Amino acid sequence: MTSPAAVREVAILREGDSPYLAVDPDGFRAHVRDNKQRALKPRLMSAKEAVERFVSDGDYLTYECNYLMRGPNEVVHEVIRQEKKDLWVAGKFTYVDVALLVDAGCVSRADCGFFLSAPPVERALKDGRLEVYEYSNVIMTLRLQAGAMGVPFLPVRSFGGTDGFDHSGAKLIVDPYTRLPITIVPALNPDVAIVHVHQSDIYGNARVFGTGTSDVESALASKKVIISAEELVDTAEIRRNPGATSIPYYAVDAVVHSPYGSYPGTCPGYYGSDPEGVFEVFRATMGDQVPAYLDKWVRPFETFGQMLEARVGKAKLEAMRARETAREGYSA
Amino acid sequence: MTRAEAFSEREVAMCTVARLVEDGRTYWAAGGGTPLYAVLLGKKLYAPDAQYVTEDGVIAPEPLLPFEPMMTMVASRAVHHALAWGTMNSAGVHAQLGHMDYGVLNTLQVDQHGNINSTFLGEYGGSGRRFGGPGGADTIAACCWRTILITDQERRKFVREVDFISSPGFLDGTPGARERAGLPRDTGPWRVVTPWAMYDYSERRLRLMARVPWVSVEEILAECEWKPLVAPEVAVLEPPSEEELQLLRTELDVRGQTTDAAGSWITWDGEKYVRA
Repeated sequence: MTSPAAVREVAILREGDSPYLAVDPDGFRAHVRDNKQRALKPRLMSAKEAVERFVSDGDYLTYECNYLMRGPNEVVHEVIRQEKKDLWVAGKFTYVDVALLVDAGCVSRADCGFFLSAPPVERALKDGRLEVYEYSNVIMTLRLQAGAMGVPFLPVRSFGGTDGFDHSGAKLIVDPYTRLPITIVPALNPDVAIVHVHQSDIYGNARVFGTGTSDVESALASKKVIISAEELVDTAEIRRNPGATSIPYYAVDAVVHSPYGSYPGTCPGYYGSDPEGVFEVFRATMGDQVPAYLDKWVRPFETFGQMLEARVGKAKLEAMRARETAREGYSA
Repeated sequence: MTRAEAFSEREVAMCTVARLVEDGRTYWAAGGGTPLYAVLLGKKLYAPDAQYVTEDGVIAPEPLLPFEPMMTMVASRAVHHALAWGTMNSAGVHAQLGHMDYGVLNTLQVDQHGNINSTFLGEYGGSGRRFGGPGGADTIAACCWRTILITDQERRKFVREVDFISSPGFLDGTPGARERAGLPRDTGPWRVVTPWAMYDYSERRLRLMARVPWVSVEEILAECEWKPLVAPEVAVLEPPSEEELQLLRTELDVRGQTTDAAGSWITWDGEKYVRA
């Protein structure tokens, strides 16, 4: 045993001054114990029910990829439709999503890896309706990695020396093993993650094909997990190739069947993006026309499916699918 | 190589970077646009065994060109026939391990020590203007062995100190500054390329090392708010060739979104290149 006299403190050389989501690995474990469904019971539900049950005002929300690339756009639309408030979002690897959510009145805080500082974001910052804390894309996904490992922080080899560091929750410490300076970043355990996947069974055993940001990390790190899936598959199909399972059921709280759920973006291997739709959301975001965009694409509809039928149509959706000719690797 | 009749300024920068691409090396190309096109151009014309990754974790893809608008990562055509599909964390960790020889990125603003700003112009939190943030560039600039930066040759982009360090250069320029900040040893900025010039570093300070034939050293320095060092002999860069431009225009930047967005055109007047 080490005697009390031998206890030494780790030196903190520098630290960022921004608020960060409280780090509480044991609290997270207790949440898992008390709330996660370990039985193989179906958790299939509509996007409406999933958002009503699992997204609360004030939650920290992370979504995977972005509005243009395998984004969980059906569930994002539902968050906007239900007028969730005061969310804190992980704004990584994102062009338009943060601006859409900010202008819809859903978001008051954002951790920044990368997102377009479009007019709605600028205005919210100036009006004090939005606070932004600085990270980078990889630092955000490494924070999620720490959250997904159940540890309170992770040492990282980037981010030190930047001004982002000074406006974050990072700290520079003396590594007790090498005695060299090392940056540590706080684990991120979001309240809710939304992840769009290629396939899932009704329990949430989910398969992601292709590249991505941090689908698995977000799902494991988050207290409440909504999976939206292009395709529902039988559990027998999951069992046929267990190595293809990206996210296991016990991390998942809701499964939403969401065909074309990434529209107007692409779901790689399944359908290409709709360039017209991509340009439209870009123009709306950069041209400060988000309310009109939401009034056209989100608010008039009860479901994403209704929107696809009314605004996009079967022929165009089929054309998006036909245009996606690079399909190797997008199956188990 | 065939002499080109006309090209745009940004095409010059991309062709210059393409010629820096080395066989047998791994490149982490930022996001989309200029860095990715420059690496692909170099790989296709000069260095077939150069490989690249992007921040979605793709390793050594054979992309189906051209890319669709905005779809330079994650999309199936962009990650086609890769050797591995990973995640943002796999890309970041592989860079931490030392697998990435070169990082290629672009920026709003660069300073005398190669620090990069893509977050905020003006006093942070004040009345200035916010931009997208570092994205993947912070990890690229921190962890790749050498960093190549692409930017436009404008006064406001070459400054004494950037308004906000989004991604690290040599920080305050003192020896060991990066290591003291916890960054990996022996890494850092290597080149800055603009449509007019190429810079290296001397004692961790930006130094003009080469220029295009149609612009003088004086003209370049006039477009630097903070004057860089100047190498004893400033080399003259080869202009883009017809072969490079052909590939760039037909397979890479086919919509001209990246190359034609800014800058003037350079044309061959029968004896020399002139800026239009």
